[in-house]
This record gives sequence, C-alpha cells and structure tokens, in this order.
Amino acid sequence: MPPEQIISELHAAALAALEQATTLDALEAVRVEALGRKGKLAEVSKTFGKLAPEERARVGKLLNSVKQELETRLDERKDALSSVAQDARLESEWIDLTAPAPGVRPGSLHPITQVQRELEELFVSLGFAIMDGPEVETEFYNFDALNIPADHPARDAQDTFWLKDGRLLRTHTSPVQLRALEKFGPPLKMIAPGRVFRNEEVDASHEHTFYQLEGMMVDRDVSVAHLLYFMKTLLSAIFHRDVTVRLRPGFFPFVEPGFELDIQCLICGGKGCPVCKHSGWVELLPCGLVNPAVLRYGGVDPDQWNGFAFGLGMTRLAMMRYGIDDIRLFAGGDLRFLRQF
Amino acid sequence: MKFSYNWLRDLVDQLDAPPHELSQLITIKTAESEGVEQHGNDSVIEIDNKSLTHRPDLWGHYGMAREVAAILGRKLVDPVKPAQFPGAAPVRVSIEDHTLCPRYSALVFENVTVKPSPEWLQQRLEAVGLNPINNIVDVTNYVLAEIAQPMHAFDAAKLLGDEIIVRSARAGETIKTLNEESYTLDPSNLVIADPSCAVAIAGIIGGADSAISDSTTRIVLESANFNASSVRKTSSKLKLRTDASMRFEKAQDPVNTIRGLERAFALLQEVSPGIRLVGGLADNYRPAPVSPPVVLPLDWLDRKLGRAVPAEEVRRILESLEFRVEEIAPRVFSVFVPSWRVTKDVSIKDDLVEEVGRMIGYDSIPPVAPLTPARVPPASPEREFHHRVREMAAAQGFTEVHNYSFISEEMARVFSVDLSAHVQVSNPIASDQNLLRTSLLPGIWKNINDNARHFDQFRLFEIGRAIHPDREVPHFTAAFYAKDDGAAALFELKRLAECLLPGVSIRPAGTTQSYEHPRRTGDVLHGESNVGRLFEFHPRMIEGGRSAVLDLDLTRLMQLQPTPERYQPLRRFPESAFDLSVLAGPRALIADVQSALEKLAGDGLLSIVFLREFALDDGARSLSYRLTVGAPDRTLSAEEVGAVRSRIIDGMRSAGYELRI
Repeated sequence: MPPEQIISELHAAALAALEQATTLDALEAVRVEALGRKGKLAEVSKTFGKLAPEERARVGKLLNSVKQELETRLDERKDALSSVAQDARLESEWIDLTAPAPGVRPGSLHPITQVQRELEELFVSLGFAIMDGPEVETEFYNFDALNIPADHPARDAQDTFWLKDGRLLRTHTSPVQLRALEKFGPPLKMIAPGRVFRNEEVDASHEHTFYQLEGMMVDRDVSVAHLLYFMKTLLSAIFHRDVTVRLRPGFFPFVEPGFELDIQCLICGGKGCPVCKHSGWVELLPCGLVNPAVLRYGGVDPDQWNGFAFGLGMTRLAMMRYGIDDIRLFAGGDLRFLRQF
Repeated sequence: MKFSYNWLRDLVDQLDAPPHELSQLITIKTAESEGVEQHGNDSVIEIDNKSLTHRPDLWGHYGMAREVAAILGRKLVDPVKPAQFPGAAPVRVSIEDHTLCPRYSALVFENVTVKPSPEWLQQRLEAVGLNPINNIVDVTNYVLAEIAQPMHAFDAAKLLGDEIIVRSARAGETIKTLNEESYTLDPSNLVIADPSCAVAIAGIIGGADSAISDSTTRIVLESANFNASSVRKTSSKLKLRTDASMRFEKAQDPVNTIRGLERAFALLQEVSPGIRLVGGLADNYRPAPVSPPVVLPLDWLDRKLGRAVPAEEVRRILESLEFRVEEIAPRVFSVFVPSWRVTKDVSIKDDLVEEVGRMIGYDSIPPVAPLTPARVPPASPEREFHHRVREMAAAQGFTEVHNYSFISEEMARVFSVDLSAHVQVSNPIASDQNLLRTSLLPGIWKNINDNARHFDQFRLFEIGRAIHPDREVPHFTAAFYAKDDGAAALFELKRLAECLLPGVSIRPAGTTQSYEHPRRTGDVLHGESNVGRLFEFHPRMIEGGRSAVLDLDLTRLMQLQPTPERYQPLRRFPESAFDLSVLAGPRALIADVQSALEKLAGDGLLSIVFLREFALDDGARSLSYRLTVGAPDRTLSAEEVGAVRSRIIDGMRSAGYELRI
C-alpha cells in the first residue's frame, strides 16, 4: 500500500475514534495511538527511509498536515469533553441558598444609649466635652450649690430619694455643672448625660429612674442669643430638620434668667393638634444663663465669666423619637422590646 | 393658682385682650398658663404653681394685674384705698423672734354681724377655688386672693386678755384647728397665742376654739408676715398645706400687712354694715435692712441678652413693673426694687436681665454663634471605652438592657451580700426597693427568667454602676441563656471576655457562692489582676434552661487595655512546629499543662496552641498541643528542634506526665 494511502486510512480511523471518545481518558488513548511517540503515524514515518527523495518530501508534508489537523481536532474535542465534565461537577455542587446562615446576629443597643450616643457625637462635633458625675450625690452638689437652699419651695418640684447616710440620689444631672467647673474651670463647654432619680409613683408616663443630658457653656460674654443659636442648631440636628424654638420665662434657681424652651410642634407645624394640646408648641427643655451664685460655688468669678446651661430629657426624647407610649418599657428588660432598636 | 379674668379686669384699666389671648401672653412673658376654663360668666386662667415659686407677688390677682398692665401697656388700678387707723391699739402684740415673724399687724372690730357674703363676693371666691364660709372669713380670703396677704380673724371673745403673743410652740403643746384636726407641736413650730394657749399655727391655720361663729360680735383681724422657711418647715412637718402657708413659704412682703388691713377695712364695711373699728392699729414691725439698689450697666445688659435695648425702653419696662430707675452714670442705671420683689426674687443685676428680656420678648433676640476660640475638648476615655464595650457586645449578639439601681433585702441575701454593705434609701418607692445595688447580678437574673418565658436562647448585657458606700464602680454584666447543657454558653462568654480584654484567662474558683454552679465558676484574670467572674447560674435559679454570666469590673478592664507598642519586625527565618500529646488526669487543667510545656520550651517557643482533647478508656485525657519554635537570627536545624522536643518530653516525664508519642 502506498504510504499516502496508509496515512489517509490512519487519518480517517483516528478521526472516527476521536468522535467516538466520550471521556477525556478515551480521548487521550486516541491521541497516544495516533500521535504518540510509538503511535501509528510514527510507525509510518519509519518506513520513509526507503522512499525516493521527492516522494519522501511529498509524503512527509502530508504526514505533517495530518498530524496538525489531528492535534487541532483532539484539542477541540478535549475542550468539549472537559466542559461537559465541569458542567457535571458544578451541577452536582448545587446549594440551597435560601437555607438560613448559621452564626450569631448582632444584638442591639438600648434605645436610650442610641439617643445618648447621637447627642454626644453632635455635641463633641461642636467642641463640647463629655463629663460624668456620681449617681449618689451630696445635698450640697444636688441642691445648695445650685442655689436651691434647704426649705426652698423649688425642692418640691424634685421629689428626692434620700439615703440613710444623709446623701441622696441625684435628682438631675445639674450637679455635674459644679463638678466640671471645679475640675476644669472656664472656659468650658460640656455635656453630662446620665441616670437620675425622682421619688415618683411609676406609671406609663412617670418613672423614678430616667436619663437626662445636662449641657453648659462658660466663657466671656455668653448671651441669650448664643443660647438660642446652640439650641436651634442642636435641635435641628436632633430632629433632622429645621426647628423653630421659642423661649419663655421659667424658674430654676440655678439659672438667671431661666427659660422653658418650646419647639414648634413637629406634627402640625404650629397650627395646633392633640400632640401640642392645640398650642402649636411643645415644651422641650429648661435652660437659662448660669446663675452667678452657681459660678461662684464652682470657683468661677461671675464678673469675668458667664454661661448658659440646659437640661435635656433623653428618656423623653427617645419616647418622642420612637413613639414609645409607656416609659416603663425602658427598664423592663424585655428583649421583645429592646431588639426592635 | 387660679386667676379670675373679671377680677383682673377690675385691676387693669381697659383690659381688652380676650381670656385666651391673655393666657398666651402670660405664658410668654410671665409664667406658664395651663389653660382657660369658663366659670359662670367668668373665665379662669390657671397658672402652674411651679412657675410661681419665686414670685410671692403673683399669688394674688393684683400682682398678676401688674404684669398684665406692663405687658399690654395699660394702667394698673390699685384696689387698696389708703386709710388711717389712729388711736391706741386695743391689743398688744409681742413677738418673741422677729426673724420668724418680722411683722404682726392687727385691727379690732366690734358690732360685727356674721352672715353669708354677698353674691358677687362668693362668686369671686368660687371662681378661684375658695369656698365661701361667712362674710368675715370670706373677706380675709378675698384679700388673700387679691393682694396675696393671708389674714386671719379671731373671735375676740374667745381670746384671753388683750395680748397677742407670737412665740415658739411648747414641746407637746396641742392645738385643735379649723380643719377639725388636732396637732401636737414642738418648739420648731411658731404659734399665735393668747396668754393661756396657742390660738393659731402661725401662717398656716387658725385654731378651732377662737373661730368666727354666728354669735361672734367682736373680732381681732390679723395681718402678719412670717418667715418663709419656718412656715415651710412646719407645714411639711405637719403635712398641712393651706392657702396661707403656700403664700408665706414664697416669702411675702411685710409692707403688705397694712395694705391687707386697709383693704379688709373697706370690704368689711360693705359686707357687715354697722361694723365699728375699736381703737387704732396694732403693729409690731422690725423692718429688714433696706437692700441697696441694683446697679445695672446697660452695655452689660445688652451683652447678656445678645441684643441692644434702648435705654428708654429698659426704663419704661422696669418702671411699668414699679421698679424705680435712676441714671447714675451714662448708660448705667441704679434700680430700686419694689418691696414685693425684694424678698425672694430680685437682688442682683442678672435678675433684671430677665425682667427686660421677657418684656422685650425673647423672640426679638436673633440667634448668634459665639465668637470663641476653637478648642479640642478634654477627652472622656472612660465613656469612650464603655461605648466600645457596648458595641463589641452587641456585635457578638448581646442586647443591652437597663435595670433599676434599687434592689430588695431578699435579693441582697440571694446574692450573698451583707445588708450593711449596701447604701440604703430612707424613703424608698416601695419597702422592698430600699437598697442600692452593689452588683448588676440581681437585675440580670430577673432579666434571664423573664425572657426565658419568650425565648429558647438569648444573650443580654448591662453596663451600669455598682454602688458601694464609698464608690461607684461601672460594671459590664452579660448573660447567655439556652435550653441546653450550658457548656457552650460559658465558652461564648469566655470568648467575649477575650474580645474585651486580650490576654485574659480563667482560673477555676476555689470557693463559690450559693448562686453559682460549684463546678462551673471561675475568676477572670489578666496576669495577676482579677477583673471579674465567669460562672453558670446554679441550675436551681434558672427556669427551663441554663444561663452563664460574665461580670467584669469596667474600671479595671479599661486600665488593662493593651496600648499599641513599637511593632515587632516580621520574622525572616522559617519556624518549625511539632505536636505533643500529654496524658492527664480527668480534671487536669488544659491551662496548667500548657504552662508546664511553655516553661520547658524556653525562649525559643514562638507559640503554643491547644489542639484537641481525647478521652481515654480509663477516664484519663490526652491533651494535644502544637508548639512552634524558631530563632530570630537563623533557621533552626532538625537536630536543634529535636533537642527542644526531647527536652520538653523529658521534663514532662520527670514532672509526672506521660506523653503519647
């Protein structure tokens, strides 16, 4: 048989075997048989030595082109078979992604902590320091040094838990004003968030334990206009919108003049609704210019320095923000409530 | 305090603002109004008493009328017509201590007819919440409501002699009073007495025996002034608050006693025709030292308000409130405070800022940012740290709770704390809430059992203060509850402790408390410092499951926080690792075996990690560790690593451990 014919037959046989191979192993066997070092085409090429030079060149050329074509076809076939194998493997790796993910979910922070954190960040951004004071206070810091002497009727407004050792549970965060002045002196911008206590019967809107945030700025020539500026800036940030505030006289012995600060009702915009008892205004916080007597108690010369102070009810703010209608939930420890925040 | 609109109209010329508008104006300029109610043909404006504690004058209509007149720019009409009471006083007034009673004035009337008051007078009293009684008593109440001067009428026939004595009560002295109660007094209480006995508790209530009755024909009319804090003390001690005591405790104006008598004199002639004055005025008065005028620099006032107010406007406002103003230097006023404002309210220039500010209207002050240097505020590392702990606990699945600071004595016993170690509340909200917590555990325990009713598994924590007599210690207390055997909870909390303070270890507790699981309790240590406790609640204390607790002292935790130091250069030479398994007794501690291995390994040890434990048939355990060794300056040869390993094995063996090799 002439070598051309042998090559063509081997070529055709290899092509047929290649088509029939359904696995990568079978395909490899086809390749080894046809193209391997000891394969059939290699065998054929050994016989070329007997051929005439011009015939040898012609047959050699044919052999090379057949080899090349077979290589190409083998590669193509190999790709096809690999992708089928991969598809099969991937198919078998199916996962139900709707299954629940294992592991712990984050818990949540108490709603008052969240309000407190937000307020602290706001005040710090405006240059206020955050201060702290004891929950068990002396009568001096809680009352006398705040210009509320014994037998002052203003003590009526703050039902006090007295302790057997003569001290008391602080009825407001205002004592921290004194402690901050003593520690740092003027100029000073500070807030003091914390737990306070009033001896009140507990019901849906009254608690004996709640949270306040005291604020104070002491500097040269602090004015009512400055107080208004800070209150408006802060309250707009707290409520995430521009708020309208008003001051009206309010009596607190540690400030002079003293104010009640109202904000225009956020529900009705001042037109009057049940939330604002149809007045258009909601009472929000007491504030005022620091009474010189308090500055003096804090070791500060009121002829050189003055300031403003305010007290924000954080518990009340949290109730307003989240629409909480029962104050007892805050200290109830019920995870069904706390996990909502 | 209730204000009759009709009454105010008598006292303010051309009052035309309708009641609701007036109520609003009073809120903005003077004191908080709680609203307006219709009362017959009158409107009643109710002012919050708390906003009047500093204003003795506003406890009468005339004081409020003065405010209204100033607000509206109208003329004030004084209801008191000056009168003269010449002649010798028919009674003698002795005052034991003028500090407690600066002034006692009195008139005596005869030919008195006691009968119901005329309709108009009754209506006025009813409108402001006072009960009409009879014409004489009603006149005293009318004066009280009109000019804030409490008065009292005695039946002169029931008094012994003609001397009125203002003195301290004798110890154990009793008095029957108009409210049909009987009080036992002590020397801290001030009384009005005749030579035989007390006839009234000064400034609070009259005695029943000398009360006005239908047969009364001769009266002694008292118009006095009593020390505010003395009245307040007695009133709160006796738990007896009256319309008179509420006014006196605000520090009334001693000048007003005579005005009270003048006003009553006119009214009595109207309601008891034929009534006759006996003799002249009795008046025992020691005036307080005159307060100097207040110097008010107008530039200072402008700086305080943050707005310029023209001098003429400041003068007009102050004068409309009956302050007397003199300009003693350019733009400096000397301000004389009226007697009814000087007792309690106005004594320094800051008080005048309020007078001017409220009358110009705070809404006329534009908000202004202060021009102060920007400063970095002092840091508050403790608070920052607490927030970081909170964030970390929440990220690990724990939900924050707040518990009360109060606990019961029973709770103190459950948690084995001596009652005397607690700060105690004198007036607790309830008898079983009389101690301040020295630990957060009682609250957390309650939280666990409450929530166990709703959840099979949960994690919670609190950051709060443990209160001891000499200090307040912030604590972090976390609990993990699950309906299982409890082991996982302990290790989850141990991991939380390691997150909060890297390098902590747990040492099994030598002794445990009754609320702790005796075999699942340990101290949380950092080096030798004890920072807290990790334990499982005794199973009898937990309903339906198990709960572990981690309790940490946040102050110590913060002090021990690692601070980043200079970094360690990365190793340039490879390290070598090998595993060792040590046979140990059933209750040998993994940490003890590990530290024995560490000691034997010496300086070349880079790390040691516990891999696993494996229980053997005889109850012993095989504990496996991976040790990694290396040198900083070269690669250890196989022989060197082998030598370390042999040294450890030999050392362990001579320490009595068997190794599985």
